[in-house]
Amino acid sequence: MRLDEDLFAKITVVFSFIIMAVGGLFGLVQALNRVPFLEMPGLLEVSDANYYRILTCHGVCLAVAIPIYWITGLAAFLSPRILKVGLDKRLLGLSLAMMLLGGVMATIVILAGKANVLYTFYAPMKAHPGFYWGAALLILGSWVFIAAFVKQYLQWRRQNPGVGTPIAIYGLLATFIVWIEATTPIVITVLKDFIPMSMFGKHVDVLETRTWFWFFGHALVYFWLLPVVTMWYYLIPKKLGVPLFSESMAKVAFILFILASTPVGLHHQFTDPGLAPEYKYMHTVLTLIVASPSMLTGFNILATMERAGRAKGGNGLLGWLAKQPWKDPVYLGLVVSMIIFGVGGITGIINASYQLNMVVHNTAWVPGHFHMTVGNMVVIGYTATTYAMLADLFKRKLISKTTAYSHILLWSIGLFIFSLAYYYVGLHGAPRRTSNIEYGGLLPQSWVFPMEISAIGAILMFAGGVFAVYTVLGSLLFGKSRGVQIPGFSIGNPHPEATTFNPLLENLKFWVIFAALLIIVAYIFPFYEIFSRGLSTVPPVATGLG
Amino acid sequence: MEPNEGIIYEYVWIVIVAAIVAGLAASLAYYGIALDLNPACNATPIDVDKVLQEFKPGVKELGPGIYQVDILAGQFFWNPNKIVLKDPVRVEFRITSKDVVHGFEIVGTSVNVMVIPGYIAEFSWEPPKNAEGRYLIICHEYCGIGHQEMKAELIIERTNTLLDGADIDALEVTGGDIGKITEPTYIEFEGVISG
Repeated sequence: MRLDEDLFAKITVVFSFIIMAVGGLFGLVQALNRVPFLEMPGLLEVSDANYYRILTCHGVCLAVAIPIYWITGLAAFLSPRILKVGLDKRLLGLSLAMMLLGGVMATIVILAGKANVLYTFYAPMKAHPGFYWGAALLILGSWVFIAAFVKQYLQWRRQNPGVGTPIAIYGLLATFIVWIEATTPIVITVLKDFIPMSMFGKHVDVLETRTWFWFFGHALVYFWLLPVVTMWYYLIPKKLGVPLFSESMAKVAFILFILASTPVGLHHQFTDPGLAPEYKYMHTVLTLIVASPSMLTGFNILATMERAGRAKGGNGLLGWLAKQPWKDPVYLGLVVSMIIFGVGGITGIINASYQLNMVVHNTAWVPGHFHMTVGNMVVIGYTATTYAMLADLFKRKLISKTTAYSHILLWSIGLFIFSLAYYYVGLHGAPRRTSNIEYGGLLPQSWVFPMEISAIGAILMFAGGVFAVYTVLGSLLFGKSRGVQIPGFSIGNPHPEATTFNPLLENLKFWVIFAALLIIVAYIFPFYEIFSRGLSTVPPVATGLG
Repeated sequence: MEPNEGIIYEYVWIVIVAAIVAGLAASLAYYGIALDLNPACNATPIDVDKVLQEFKPGVKELGPGIYQVDILAGQFFWNPNKIVLKDPVRVEFRITSKDVVHGFEIVGTSVNVMVIPGYIAEFSWEPPKNAEGRYLIICHEYCGIGHQEMKAELIIERTNTLLDGADIDALEVTGGDIGKITEPTYIEFEGVISG
């Protein structure tokens, strides 16, 4: 099956917004059901079993499926336009078929209640084999896409020796390198442990499988957010009509992401028994290092914004802020997503701070943190970028600027309220991932009021999500004749796509090998500890509804 | 505007970022090494098929104020589900699971550990000197359909509650939920360790 790049991009982008609608609705239902002592109207009330069923769906859809579909769609749309080299159409067809089949299969199994294992699917909880096969197929399908992307890049590289890689392509390459780093361990453990466990009752070592999972689990985070970072670097200067403040600093940031986004998984296992403090501390330091490219990025983008604002006559300490094109929903969305990410990122430093983690580990603090980082990046960043794709990819107008603004505003405010409330109850010990936190009336009173506030945040977020889905799908359906034309990707392009060539920054092969060595060093010791102690395997435990 | 104008700020910022990272790493190392504050704990492998025979849950007083608390977790209980400690100075916890992963958290304290089947998690806790009253123990890792019902209680009794000022300042309980648990009910699990 041969597939055109634009058709691939259209299908994956539209599909990801349909999933967003489903996953977002589940999110609202969960947030409301968790509020202690709140009587829910019949339609929105879910049983405990259904709570965990839709929580699994919420996590898998929003955290794994949407990013895979949307990011491959963005790359298929953008890279042929920038590099002027096509993607392999056979690989595109194969990739889309695998990703859709895998995603649909896993979703059906989850919705059928045969995989109430949540998105982390910790062994020895057992789901229906279709869940693991679906997830594996989805991930392997994304690998096929990456093969096409790398093939395209190498072809461009041969045709353009001595030319610097355009920043958007550089960022997408970093995204996919991180994705390969992340998914290799999860594919290993799913094939080696989870599928045999689910199909043949294999006994597995839980500490080992948890370590494999978090080997994947944190790098996954960078896969979600790197395309948005790429869009900050690419679209914000374009919208401003100035070059990026420092392109080499941007590339250094991406290299730091490549190096340090994977060997950090133990920071999700600080409270796991049986992993030595030395290794946990090593992963702590690497986690702090992976915070540094985000700090470099914030500086670089703000410096670009300031330079452009001052050139337009914005004087004084903050006058340049008034000279930004805030009325462009794409620009507004990207900058807002960056500001919220900054706040969320700082709370990530607290999670990563080893001893402090004991206070917040597995409490509601954690969903507070990742909704502010990922929930924000994925929903605002992806949606704003999709608005920009309307003109170039879909040949549509934006159905309404008002709904686009409403989305950004309601989502951001709702997100802040929700996350701050969750930070608060998390610090007071309220758990995450429970259908209910009443504990038969034993719950501390300090949990109740913030949880009620969090529900208000969730409702506002949901309203914002409705506007996002309406704006995207409405523009696609009706944007041909109605709506406002907003500038897309190909607006005024004062700086050339191809840039200066720095041999060290362009030598990605070197950095990938360096990253692989770092990952080996970070993981060989904990795995040695686990295996040398002797595995302690346990039989699978079913969790299905039946 | 010159392309390289302001580039000095970039270098200054790189130095600041490096200093932040180094400062955080150094302070965490100080807590870990000099103050021996580590969330890590030992794990002793145990055959999960024999855990019901070999692992005996319960509270033992090893010496004055020194307790050993052995806890068995399972879907969806902690056993024992009521732990009473009188004037505890140090508590040696040994916790394991008979089925899936659970999370042991004493609400309002820094006690927070994953309970992994096949391994006994072993760690010690020195309760703050002002810790007194009833504490809620919950499971903080999803363990199945009854996860949200999984709870127990810790009761710390003090015969001498007079603290000097330094103790109060130094050892405030995180979360501060002491005394907030007023409902006199607690759950009894039946027959959970017979199987």
